[in-house]
Amino acid sequence: MYQLNKVDKKFPGVHALKAVDFKIGRGEIVGLIGENGAGKSTLMKVIYGAYQPDGGTVTVDGKTVRFQNPRQAMDHGIGMVFQEQSLITNLTVMENIFLGFERQFVRFGVINWTAMAEAARHQLRKVKLDIDPSTVTSKLSFAQRQLVELAKVLTLEERIDGDLVILLDEPTSVLAKEEVELLFSLVRELTSRASFIFVSHRMDEVMELSDRIYVMKDGEVVDVVAHDAANIDAIQHKMVGREVDKQYYREQKQRPYDGSKALVRFDRVGVAGKFNDISFDLHPGEVLCLVGTEGSGREAILRTIFGLEKPGTGTVEIKGRPFERTNAQEAVARGVGYVPRERKVEGIVNGMNVYENMTLSQMGNYASKGVLRIGEEKALAEEWIKRLSIKTPDVYKDCGGLSGGNQQKVVLAKWRSGGSDIFLLDHPTRGLDIGAKEDVYDMIREMCDDGAGIVLVADTLEEAIGLSHTILVLKDGKFQKRFAGPPGDKPSLYDLVHHMI
Amino acid sequence: MAKTLTADKAGTGFSIRRETLVKWAPLLVLIVLCAFFAVMEPRFLSTRNFARILIAASPALMVAIGVTFVIIMGSIDLSMEGTVSVCAVAFAFCFLWLGGTLASWAWLALPFAMLVGAVLGFVNGLIHVKLRIPSFMASLAMGFVGTGLAMVMTGGDRIRIEDALFRSLLTERILGFPLMVYVAGVFLLVAWFIQTRTTLGRNFYAVGGGEDLAIASGLNVNRVRVLGFTVAGVFFAVGALLAVGRIGIAETATGNNFMFLSITAVVVGGTALWGGVGGVWNTLVGVLIVFVIGNGMVVIGLPGYVQDGVLGILVILAVILSTDRKSISFVK
Amino acid sequence: MSVEKLKPYFPWITLTMLVLLVGAFNPSFLNPASLVQLVADIVPLFIMALGMTFAIYIGGIDLSMQQVANLVTVVATVYLVQYGIFVAVLCIGAGFAIGAISGWITTRQFVPSFVATLAMGFIALSGARFLSGERALSMNAEARDASFGWMFGNTAGVPHELAIAGLLLAVAWFLQTRTTFGRALKAVGAGELAAVASGLKVDRIKILAFALSGTFAAIAGLMFSVKLSGGDANLANGFLILAIVAVLVGGTPLTGGVGGVINTLVGTLIVVVIRSAMVYLDVDATKQQMIFGIILIVAIAMTIDRSKMRIVK
Repeated sequence: MYQLNKVDKKFPGVHALKAVDFKIGRGEIVGLIGENGAGKSTLMKVIYGAYQPDGGTVTVDGKTVRFQNPRQAMDHGIGMVFQEQSLITNLTVMENIFLGFERQFVRFGVINWTAMAEAARHQLRKVKLDIDPSTVTSKLSFAQRQLVELAKVLTLEERIDGDLVILLDEPTSVLAKEEVELLFSLVRELTSRASFIFVSHRMDEVMELSDRIYVMKDGEVVDVVAHDAANIDAIQHKMVGREVDKQYYREQKQRPYDGSKALVRFDRVGVAGKFNDISFDLHPGEVLCLVGTEGSGREAILRTIFGLEKPGTGTVEIKGRPFERTNAQEAVARGVGYVPRERKVEGIVNGMNVYENMTLSQMGNYASKGVLRIGEEKALAEEWIKRLSIKTPDVYKDCGGLSGGNQQKVVLAKWRSGGSDIFLLDHPTRGLDIGAKEDVYDMIREMCDDGAGIVLVADTLEEAIGLSHTILVLKDGKFQKRFAGPPGDKPSLYDLVHHMI
Repeated sequence: MAKTLTADKAGTGFSIRRETLVKWAPLLVLIVLCAFFAVMEPRFLSTRNFARILIAASPALMVAIGVTFVIIMGSIDLSMEGTVSVCAVAFAFCFLWLGGTLASWAWLALPFAMLVGAVLGFVNGLIHVKLRIPSFMASLAMGFVGTGLAMVMTGGDRIRIEDALFRSLLTERILGFPLMVYVAGVFLLVAWFIQTRTTLGRNFYAVGGGEDLAIASGLNVNRVRVLGFTVAGVFFAVGALLAVGRIGIAETATGNNFMFLSITAVVVGGTALWGGVGGVWNTLVGVLIVFVIGNGMVVIGLPGYVQDGVLGILVILAVILSTDRKSISFVK
Repeated sequence: MSVEKLKPYFPWITLTMLVLLVGAFNPSFLNPASLVQLVADIVPLFIMALGMTFAIYIGGIDLSMQQVANLVTVVATVYLVQYGIFVAVLCIGAGFAIGAISGWITTRQFVPSFVATLAMGFIALSGARFLSGERALSMNAEARDASFGWMFGNTAGVPHELAIAGLLLAVAWFLQTRTTFGRALKAVGAGELAAVASGLKVDRIKILAFALSGTFAAIAGLMFSVKLSGGDANLANGFLILAIVAVLVGGTPLTGGVGGVINTLVGTLIVVVIRSAMVYLDVDATKQQMIFGIILIVAIAMTIDRSKMRIVK
């Protein structure tokens, strides 16, 4: 009933969707998977009307349609449940559910709150959520919010005559295991009312829930597999376009680390509300990976090493000495470099050029009495542009205008050129295309060879396993299990997942 | 001017207490202030004195309520001085032209002034939204245009309104308070009604709470914005009418001092400049705090200059008290 | 050259067009001597706008500047006889301190600078009213000439005021473009979180930025006081809004990180040209304010770079 025929979408410099065919039938659950940057999100945006395709056609029940905005897509029964919470937290649940469609409850310009609450309760019942619709959304848990979002989309049922298509974008990323199962059983029940497009990077979940799975790579649909014929390895192969093998994560370049010294030492460290009783040593040449679900304390540990969080208990030592004043300046001075997950917000300064970004953490090295030696800055930038083959027209280019991979290289160059030897990498490959990822993997190995220690929070479990010497599994802020991962003897996905949830 | 991150876990015991405290802090400050002045000088508590406070506060309250809606949207409106002046002058001309007394067709000047306010607000909103100029600059420039327009209309002269019926706003008292206080009260209720009972009022909160999300939900945010500035313009006009009613004169200077006064009051009342929280009751409390300080200082015989300093300190304290530091990553 | 590349020059283009336009209607406007005088007259405004640039450049705003200048006019007038030229130190110190306190309240107490500086302005006003005894004071003419007479001379046709403004501009420009402090300001304005994650002392930088704006406000107030030979708690009123307008028209947006002191120079000139053009073009005095507002909207609409604004609030 809903179909995309040879849909094309181009952005300056990127061919984001290449002649994509896609269809979904009534009551079907279709999975959509692909690496970051494979075109999933662009495809979704085309489906729910945020982008208009440059070529090809979109048909609903055989009729060609063209959505100018999400609202028009909604009028055709297409709704979206967003990955990042799209509820407005200072509004009540019912206001969120009917945001933009309040008119039905308005009489003579006055909102009838009782009627809206009643209607909201009706929607909440569909998702089996028993809460007061006049609760302010900020008071709900993430799982509850997710269900409210689903309820909000399901209001389409009353508004639209035709069939519903609901997109679920990574709906499980903030949910616990039981909540995920609840959501899945709910979605299965709801197939009597709507079709679902399910987007997730968790392969097992997609396999479990979907009737058919679309596999995307580089803006193309490379395979469509039925539920029964699905095979994880085969799909993974298609997604990545080659064997996800030792080569990919540069395992052959993994050298044993020097266990005699500790760059970072955590001794029974705890930060209230984030994690507690965590101990580990980070050695020169070691990649130590923190594995766990969202909220397991991974990020908080990185922030503690960087001096942004003050430990409540235990001691943190950086190169044998505890912090004198816990702050980022001290961490940087001791050689800690932080590559944050939110690259565009925390990694680079959007609005500053390449050399300005590169010396941001080490301006003191390029200044005499506070006066900058800009010539030297540029020379440094040029050297690293060459060394890491950063694609930029010149050193004056605004970093905000570089591609994600090149931005990440600038961030890494910033710390490496400043002489950092403890790197905190938070999702360093998030949103990068495969080539750029491989560059990052190469760089990680290179840094280890130079004697640096790396604490990594990886984008995927495979990445964590492939890259690390040591894996610490965390759950709810508590240490679960330590794995050693020498080349050729890596722990399996199952080993880790087992301890994560 | 502030970036907020959503707090991870709301609803714990402490945060409820804190929320309650933050919610009632402005009112608490007001009560403490009143108690303080009353102890220092019992005459502060007299009806006469309260009437004095409320007379002075009424026009400012209307202006502050207008800007409250804009601030809830996360924008700001700095055009009030100009708008108030134009509305006051437009009212005066229209009123005198139509007969000069409320007992004739001249009463039409009242809705006319509000219409003028609405038009100015509408234009202000359009400039902001259509030309994509941040509201700070757009409304600031519109303020110049307004003040200038009032100057052109009056040629710098003062216009006296001597109609006894219109001046009864000030002269006629019920239970010791002049009519204008009741008029302000009625419009306060209207504002409260808009805030809680109309789609537009709720949409102000949606825009202030998360503009991108509101757009994604299919809300026509630009329309809400323009209407927000229009509503603000109407309330500025009501403020202008009360200001004229209070002193019986309409001139270019009628709007003077309203800008920082009203924004200070809104902030002291607990409406955050980054939008999404607060409302007209907060603004009422904020306006009262500002005027009680002014009045109380005089009543207990402190020199006028102390008043500014105390107000300044109080403004800072009010914002510190009502800010949940844990949910904010940085402030500019 | 594409439109994209031209964007940084929009304020310059606007200024040039304005000057040529006015010159075309009334060539006497372009007379160099009158132009110099025109510019010299607005030096205090320009200095205030320079200071404002620092606050806005980091994404904040300083609404206390006018009151700081007011306070300084009173301080300068009251203590001139006692301290002679060293009253300048007192004035500048006061400006620096008030700015630093505003900055501290903003960064450490999480009060938005709009409110913090507005409130600090009230407090400064309070001080000015107290110190002046709520009267307009006049300076001791002898002491004034002895200590600050040099401010208003002419050397080789260049008014000293202009030289002072030029010097301050040079200092501000050097600070902004050539020092680690200036670079840090830009980083804080354009991406505060990234600045934190790079280990910059963000709080200190922000406090210093506000202290600088306070300092410039004090310098402006001092010049104003000497120029008018007096002090009064309302002397500098009306300058705040003009200073903000000058910064914004110059192309330094309220969001920070873009623009800078040179933009402020252009912005101030645009404001002044618009204002004085109306005199040259014989615009009726009552209409000037309105026309100023309208031209302002047009100028802002033409000048501001919207490419980095995702949401316009």
